[in-house]
Amino acid sequence: MVSSFCWSCLTRLPTASPRAMLPPTLTPQRVAAFHTSSTLLASPLKKKSTGNVAAPRYRQANSARMKKKGKAVERARPPPAGERRALRKRIVLSNPNALEVEDMQDISAENMVDSRLHGAVLGLPVPMLDQLRAVQAFKPKQGWSIFRRPGTVMRRESLELGRLIDSISNNPEDKGKVVKRVLTGAKGTGKTVHLLQAMAMAFTKEWVVITVPECQDLVLANTSYAPLSDKTPNVYVQNEATAALLNRTVTANQKVLSTLKVSREHPALKSLVARDMTLQDLANIGIQDPAAAWAVFQALWTELAATSAAPGFEAGFSPRPPMLVAVDGIGHWMKETKYRSAKFEPVHAHDLVFVQHFLSLLKPGNNQQSALPNGGILLYATSGSNSPSVYSLDVALKQVAARRQGVTPSSSNFPQPAAYSKIDQRVFAALDAPASSIPTEGALELQTMAGVSRDEARGFMEYFARSGLLRQHVTEEWVNEKWTLAGGGVIGELEMLGRRLTVPAQVE
Amino acid sequence: MVFILGVNFPERNLVKKSLESFFGIGNHTSARLLSRFHIHPTCKIGELGNKQVLDITAALTDMKIENDLRRQVLDNIKRLKDIGTYRGRRHALGLPVRGQNTRSQIKTAIKLNRIERRLG
Repeated sequence: MVSSFCWSCLTRLPTASPRAMLPPTLTPQRVAAFHTSSTLLASPLKKKSTGNVAAPRYRQANSARMKKKGKAVERARPPPAGERRALRKRIVLSNPNALEVEDMQDISAENMVDSRLHGAVLGLPVPMLDQLRAVQAFKPKQGWSIFRRPGTVMRRESLELGRLIDSISNNPEDKGKVVKRVLTGAKGTGKTVHLLQAMAMAFTKEWVVITVPECQDLVLANTSYAPLSDKTPNVYVQNEATAALLNRTVTANQKVLSTLKVSREHPALKSLVARDMTLQDLANIGIQDPAAAWAVFQALWTELAATSAAPGFEAGFSPRPPMLVAVDGIGHWMKETKYRSAKFEPVHAHDLVFVQHFLSLLKPGNNQQSALPNGGILLYATSGSNSPSVYSLDVALKQVAARRQGVTPSSSNFPQPAAYSKIDQRVFAALDAPASSIPTEGALELQTMAGVSRDEARGFMEYFARSGLLRQHVTEEWVNEKWTLAGGGVIGELEMLGRRLTVPAQVE
Repeated sequence: MVFILGVNFPERNLVKKSLESFFGIGNHTSARLLSRFHIHPTCKIGELGNKQVLDITAALTDMKIENDLRRQVLDNIKRLKDIGTYRGRRHALGLPVRGQNTRSQIKTAIKLNRIERRLG
């Protein structure tokens, strides 16, 4: 039989209310509710909240509104300004894991003319590395970081360059000789490394080395510019870039510049230049005050080009050393820049006074003086990997080569731009350098870099093997194979083949 | 911090970006302003010379920007209303002016178009 009351629910006892039966307590007691449900304890007076559903305002949408996604979670702080760029531009010149190549010679005054070293890899002297870094001779994408220390192959062109630098320095017949070259060639053929070798050789001979490591930097509109003067509103000066050039020049050539003294008045600089100032101090004026950088650079150039002192300055005058001017990537200087004139027209690169100066050196000198009166070499390289396509430059370089071979501009064989092509006369004008009337000044030449010879390739691959990067027996046949794979000895391709670590299969 | 037309800009900001923060100056105008005073596009506020700051401020004061420009926009709308055009009416009614459908998606018109349009 079913009980009359519910065992689980004594409050429902029909007889009496248990609550009334309980004696009233004086102190508040915490009693566990008998029911698990709280409905009975809830105060009946308490109104149910209606929720804050306000009536839609006048002409407000009443449809379901999707919750917008919150703001993106704040990520970690970005690296400090300049750090990522520094990492990208970092140049590593040493790899402690690579083997030291024994009996590797350094580039020196003696062996840069030694034809027995043709095809050998010569190291760059360690004390010189700071100088080469200062002129930014190394580029981040080059493979210096896989070897113990940087070295370059003495190829035919390098030996020829070494002999040239040696003879300009030492040979009395070649004193004051000026060689002007535009380097071209396919990507990876060693144009930039050729410049590096030239700089290293010039440093060993204590020349003054002036470089523009990346022409693009001057035309990208990343540095300040201003009209040169009120008289020439269409020529622009780049003060920051000039100060950077002075900085490079001073850091790299400190040893030479600190021994040379000012040899004339510089009216543009007025009182800034003292009488017995060294050229290093002169250049430092421009580094400290970029507003004066261009005037200082011109003064420095005049000093370096001086063949004799002005009257009254003879006391401290010492003959100026020859100069090496190395410019990399001139393609960027042959078109319009990202800068804008006051009328918002693009500024042509040849309207930048910095560019004008370096391009004017290609022309024959005037006033019975060559472009570099104390002699030296101009090496202007095009770039294979980062070069804009400038049709006029391609044709103008062909014209330079033709002129060199004795083809006169009036001849029908002289390369001409295609009819109706869009050409830039200023590019032709800049590279149109007829032979100079000064005997020491050479005409503009075109040097085309191509692949290295098989002997040079062999020397290069042996360098890899001796550095422990290549575990292969370097045989004639193997080198020939790699030489062919590298497009006929394109040295950049050879390097890629060499650094690909290959381990021969173990035969048991 | 550099004052340009009474607004203080932090030195690390780009000049171009800072100019574009004014109502009425966009990419087109700011690029021309920069080239007029020979300022390169990646120049920061801190790199400006004193003269350039003054030049920019002088140029900006001559231009119709900010509240002047906003007031001009209001005047144009007011003119439409005053001469009783359809466009003026649509502005006053808070409805789209340029022939859009009004079945849905007219939030911008509801937000902006009203009888007394605000300056902001």
